[in-house]
Amino acid sequence: MSLATDSPVNSSSSDDLAAFLDAELDSNSLGSSPEKEAEDKDEDEESIDEEAENEEARDDKDLERIKRRKTQIVETIQERPGPTSLGNLEEKTVSLGTDNCPHPGSLGGMCYRCGKRLEEESGVTFSYICKGLRLGNDEIDRLRNTDMKHLLRHRKLYLILDLDHTLLNSTLLLHLTPEEDYLKSQADSLQDVSKGSLFMLAFMNMMTKLRPFVHTFLKEASEMFEMYIYTMGDRPYALEMAKLLDPSREYFNARVISRDDGTQRHQKGLDVVLGQESAVLILDDTENAWTKHRDNLILMERYHFFASSCRQFGYHCQSLSQLRSDESELEGALASVLKVLKRIHNIFFDELANDLAGRDVRQVLKMVRGEVLKGCKLVFSHVFPTKFPADTHYLWKMAEQLGATCSIELDPSVTHVVSTDARTEKSRWAAKEAKFLVDPRWIETANFLWQRQPEENFPVQQTKPEENFHAKQMKDQ
Amino acid sequence: MFFHIVLERNMQLHPRHFGRNLREHIISKLMKDVEGTCSGRHGFVVAITSVENIGKGLIRDGTGFVTFPVKYQCVVFRPFKGEILEAVVSMVNKMGFFAEAGPVQIFVSNHLIPDDMEFQSGDMPNYTTSDGSVKIQKDSEVRLKIIGTRVDATEIDKNISQSRPKWDPAGSHPSRFFCIGTIKDDFLGVINDPTTI
Repeated sequence: MSLATDSPVNSSSSDDLAAFLDAELDSNSLGSSPEKEAEDKDEDEESIDEEAENEEARDDKDLERIKRRKTQIVETIQERPGPTSLGNLEEKTVSLGTDNCPHPGSLGGMCYRCGKRLEEESGVTFSYICKGLRLGNDEIDRLRNTDMKHLLRHRKLYLILDLDHTLLNSTLLLHLTPEEDYLKSQADSLQDVSKGSLFMLAFMNMMTKLRPFVHTFLKEASEMFEMYIYTMGDRPYALEMAKLLDPSREYFNARVISRDDGTQRHQKGLDVVLGQESAVLILDDTENAWTKHRDNLILMERYHFFASSCRQFGYHCQSLSQLRSDESELEGALASVLKVLKRIHNIFFDELANDLAGRDVRQVLKMVRGEVLKGCKLVFSHVFPTKFPADTHYLWKMAEQLGATCSIELDPSVTHVVSTDARTEKSRWAAKEAKFLVDPRWIETANFLWQRQPEENFPVQQTKPEENFHAKQMKDQ
Repeated sequence: MFFHIVLERNMQLHPRHFGRNLREHIISKLMKDVEGTCSGRHGFVVAITSVENIGKGLIRDGTGFVTFPVKYQCVVFRPFKGEILEAVVSMVNKMGFFAEAGPVQIFVSNHLIPDDMEFQSGDMPNYTTSDGSVKIQKDSEVRLKIIGTRVDATEIDKNISQSRPKWDPAGSHPSRFFCIGTIKDDFLGVINDPTTI
């Protein structure tokens, strides 16, 4: 114990109990006994079968009155299986050395393994778990590994959910248009949030609409995934939304990451997530926020309920609130994504042949995505500007990710012609050869809904169509 | 650890209190100002037991306030490194658990929890031995050893203690004690299982 190593110097401002006691108490009568006891303890630590001897030696020392009072409890602890107590003794010598402590992490500036005050702070801050927590890189890896084993045993993966435009849509009260005023009277009660979807948060000056199907989505996804919220909003906003989505704290608990917890501005990263990248899926509407983890990302269609949200993205059409309608509950984005997640979960745990630790959810995601447009061969017409390297266009790449093959030349194996003008040569060829002639939105919709869409729903306009993305949502109802 | 010490404080009194009940006013103002506060050196003042001496008042120039130096005896509570405390577990997560011993909050990381205890998640997260005989969960009582202390001049983290504790009716504090603890040594660990009560 540290009693032997501390000198009884008068240091009442130090936080060491032993030194303080020595200073305050009369050192004559009691000064010799602590040292003798310490020597005994040191000797005991070195000998091999010291358990019984330790017990007796300590009982003899009447200095610690506490031990006499609590001998009963001491005996019950001693009844723990042998390996534990031996392990304890070995660990005691390890935990004493603050110098060989690797300082895995710190809370409030103190290493939480040895208690030493750390001068420079290294590692990543994890303030969403508890305030002032910093973890070193080795510790993060160790935690990721143990957590991974724990989750795989429970057949769960990680799912990171974005808030705005993915699970809900928020607007400031002063951005509400006159046509949306009817919403103020329709807001659901904040007392029981599990049934409601439209909430007025007057203390934050905002109104929030949860996406249809979100409660069922969270319930079913929580059985397959350990879920995190990761938003670009600030901490108070993130916590308020978590309260609306998860009032009993069973889905997310403390796993709410806001922009204050991220390591980089304007970018989201998996470095603050305590999970292996090979087991993480991300649901977000913004691709640019996840440039480093595109392979884990499932892009969601944006949920625009309020007019301010439409205007923010440059759409000049009526929003869902102005039209007094909403996204379809059973056929909307969340329902389709849930089916995809179930499929990926099934394949990961039931169909992959290699052992659990070697599986990668990113491969599964790629595979599932590649089945959407399998068997289609596409040729584009009037979609790219002339002399544009076609295979760098986002539609080309999207179609290839979805499993289609793309080509520049027409030939008999082509199945679809994707065009924006029905009068081009390639479009007329498609009509003549009875091939499918579709608008580029056919590819984008397949990307969002993870299903090949009926081609008749995406005819090519004779004139340039106006951007009305709600038409598809309305059609699905 | 609790101590019974003598402290001194300068109390400023408004002239409206000068009169028959001057001493009572000084004492009641002292109690209101000091009980429940925390200083880095002495710790938390739990209660004032008696007032030893109230010195001669000094009139401040320019205002009518009078300053009295008051010597009083009080019980204080301060955590120390190396001290062994009993505490009540308030939160358990995969990094370890938080426990509270009155106004002092202690974090025990899973490095300093015996190796045979494993974290079980769920709606009541806990640490359990492999045979299920010992369990640490919210509201368990544990005996732990403090291995590091820190005086924190910031606010209480609302995530940890949901309700305002009884010892702090006044509210926010200028400083708080925060400690790191261990239960890996002999005789440390759970002393009371809440499920058997």
